[in-house]
Amino acid sequence: MASKKNAGLGFLSAVSLAALISVAPIYSASAEDPGPVAPIEVDAKKAELGKRLFFDPRLSGDGELSCSSCHQPEKGFTDGQALSDAYSGSLGFRNVPTLINTGHRSAWFHDGRIGTNLNDVTRESITETYNMNMDMRLMQERLKQDPVYVKMFEEAGFGEPSNGSVRNAIPEYLKTLISRGSPYDTGEMSEQARAGYELFKGKAGCVACHSGDRFTDDQPHNIGAPGNPEIYKDPLRHITFVTFAKFMGIENYMNLRQDVGAYIRAHPSDKSTFGSFMTPTLRELQQTGPYMHNGMFKTLFEIVAFYNQGGGDDPNKDPLIKPLGLSFEEQQNLVAFLEALSGDPLTGPEFVAEEIDTDYPAIENWLKATN
Amino acid sequence: MTYLMSRLLSTVASAAVLAVFVAPDPALSTEGDSSKQIKSLLEGGDPDPDAPLTALGEPPIPADNPQTPEKIELGKSLFFDPRLGGAPTTPCSACHLPDVGWDVEDKVSFGYPGTVHWRNSQTIVNSAYYGKLFWAGSSKSLESQAKSAAGGAVAGNGEADMMEARLAFVPEYREAFNKIFGDEWPRIGNAWKAIAAFERTIVQTDTPFDTFLRGDDNALNDSQKRGLELFRGKAGCIECHNGALLSDEKYYNTGVPPLDEWEDDGLKQVTFRYELYAKGSTEDMYRHTKDDPGFYFRSKEKSDKGKFRTPSLRYTLYTEPYMHNGMLETLEDVVEFYNQGGGTNEFADNKTALLKPLGLNDQEKSDLVNFIKSLSGDEILVEEPDLPEYAPLPDVADTKEAKQ
Repeated sequence: MASKKNAGLGFLSAVSLAALISVAPIYSASAEDPGPVAPIEVDAKKAELGKRLFFDPRLSGDGELSCSSCHQPEKGFTDGQALSDAYSGSLGFRNVPTLINTGHRSAWFHDGRIGTNLNDVTRESITETYNMNMDMRLMQERLKQDPVYVKMFEEAGFGEPSNGSVRNAIPEYLKTLISRGSPYDTGEMSEQARAGYELFKGKAGCVACHSGDRFTDDQPHNIGAPGNPEIYKDPLRHITFVTFAKFMGIENYMNLRQDVGAYIRAHPSDKSTFGSFMTPTLRELQQTGPYMHNGMFKTLFEIVAFYNQGGGDDPNKDPLIKPLGLSFEEQQNLVAFLEALSGDPLTGPEFVAEEIDTDYPAIENWLKATN
Repeated sequence: MTYLMSRLLSTVASAAVLAVFVAPDPALSTEGDSSKQIKSLLEGGDPDPDAPLTALGEPPIPADNPQTPEKIELGKSLFFDPRLGGAPTTPCSACHLPDVGWDVEDKVSFGYPGTVHWRNSQTIVNSAYYGKLFWAGSSKSLESQAKSAAGGAVAGNGEADMMEARLAFVPEYREAFNKIFGDEWPRIGNAWKAIAAFERTIVQTDTPFDTFLRGDDNALNDSQKRGLELFRGKAGCIECHNGALLSDEKYYNTGVPPLDEWEDDGLKQVTFRYELYAKGSTEDMYRHTKDDPGFYFRSKEKSDKGKFRTPSLRYTLYTEPYMHNGMLETLEDVVEFYNQGGGTNEFADNKTALLKPLGLNDQEKSDLVNFIKSLSGDEILVEEPDLPEYAPLPDVADTKEAKQ
């Protein structure tokens, strides 16, 4: 992306020395500008299989939800709601995170509770009672009943359909979801966006956490984001929250009215991580609102304004979060930059499976057939 | 002289018979010459003496789960409450429908949405008397049966933490669990206790046969009395269907054929393989088994493949179809099945030696069916309760406290 690099050098010269000094601990002018997001090598047949699985509602207990029910391609693999839906009879207590570039993450979910790999993330999402509530042994037998899958698993080198192969195939598909075509990457940012980028790296200090090609440090931070009262007003959401908090071993979970966030990663006795959440990527924001772990911000401007006032109020708030003193115009510039981090929608046949026949045809000559 | 008295007096006056005379409730005993008849009819017979046929008394109540009106009322509500399951569509009553015998009319039960079950739904009526619940006896109490059914992937598919959390958001349940069990927040284990307490009220102790056993000679008609004779004698039913419950709660392979629907129903094939897989099969067994191994999954002894716990014959007037997979549609079919000496399935090596062709004529078969019908009284129906609704939890005054 030579064009972007050239552009970067162009506006480095415009950065004021004062701004550089003020953010010296968190930004070095000599650092290369990040991006684009690197493609990940995948096995095409495994990814193709993973794509069909991703869109197949038979991967949920009652056959009503697929991964794509909440991770919708046309919404940047989110659902466009402040708080997610959930398995039948439940509603979610967090915002659906995008899956674009998820193959590059090092920890998953807003609280970073899975830090291994997408195989485990896939397992968690399919089996968790408020997500897809699926017994994967039953899922395996469902897939074996579909001749299309029998052929696809075989051709992908997996042999017969199996639980373990599903957990390998879906991540292979997820790795194909890579940002592309953003004005930032193509060097086609507007003047306003360029000015916003300078603020991003400088005066606004965003880069302290939103670093790297995906603009995230993959670490939890507490910014004092407001809670979402809807969680506790709607029993269907609060029930899910209680179920989660109880399972994760949170003390006093029935009287809790705050999302504990990354605290669940280690339950530190000083509770220093209470209310902190993984830094989200800033890519594809135009497709993925509302924002924050609980969808409390509808627009990018609201977020910028929130940071401009120094974030919210929380005893564990990261000391990096301070009032920024940005003018209205500067805030608009930042928004323009954030918008320039959104690229082409990942829709169309490359990313979306053909319509799936979810019937289970009977196996012929059943009594003689090998199970 | 009543029929009953004449029957008793016609037997050899053994100690057992004398004991019957001094018992508060008159009862039939199979000790004596009729027992010898049965033994002679059935080679390789059951070495255990058959439990006497007696009127059904009150169900046993576990010491750690006493009956109270409030608990029974709560249990009734929970029995019909879909919140005890995964998707809120499978309360206990989904597969134990009171108006069709407290079970399901299909051969195998509906199962969870998106699935189907693989065994016949059993009636709740008189389930209180079993020491072995489910067809393969995998639960020892109604409490644990309820828990297993609510959690099974092709049954309730519910998860304990979620179901427990749901109960906490129903103010009426919070109050009831607190009053009955002392729970600050409803505990899921106590939900199973309440349901079991309700089920212990769904019993039937006043069938024509019970009335007959209590001394009313007119409670059975002549055909039914002849059927009783056959039941205890020539047909040998009493070898397994004995005691007050009319079940010895032992495991037998009677050669019930495999579910025919497995041959042409894809969804049922899915469930069948899942059960083989999830309940623990060897690779070879998983690949080649085409019928329900039954009690094998509990004992893991090859000789137990195809065995199921003897079901009670009570309330069977309302619980068709019959057998663990519903393969016999009517009571007439069941009698004819045994008249032919049972059937054949892939576990033929394990078929009970008790079964031999009986040589019953049409009249005898009819009499036997009529007797079995005397083991059911009036249909037990209940009005479905109005279920209490969710409400948000009371506010916590200082949310910061939650963080301390």
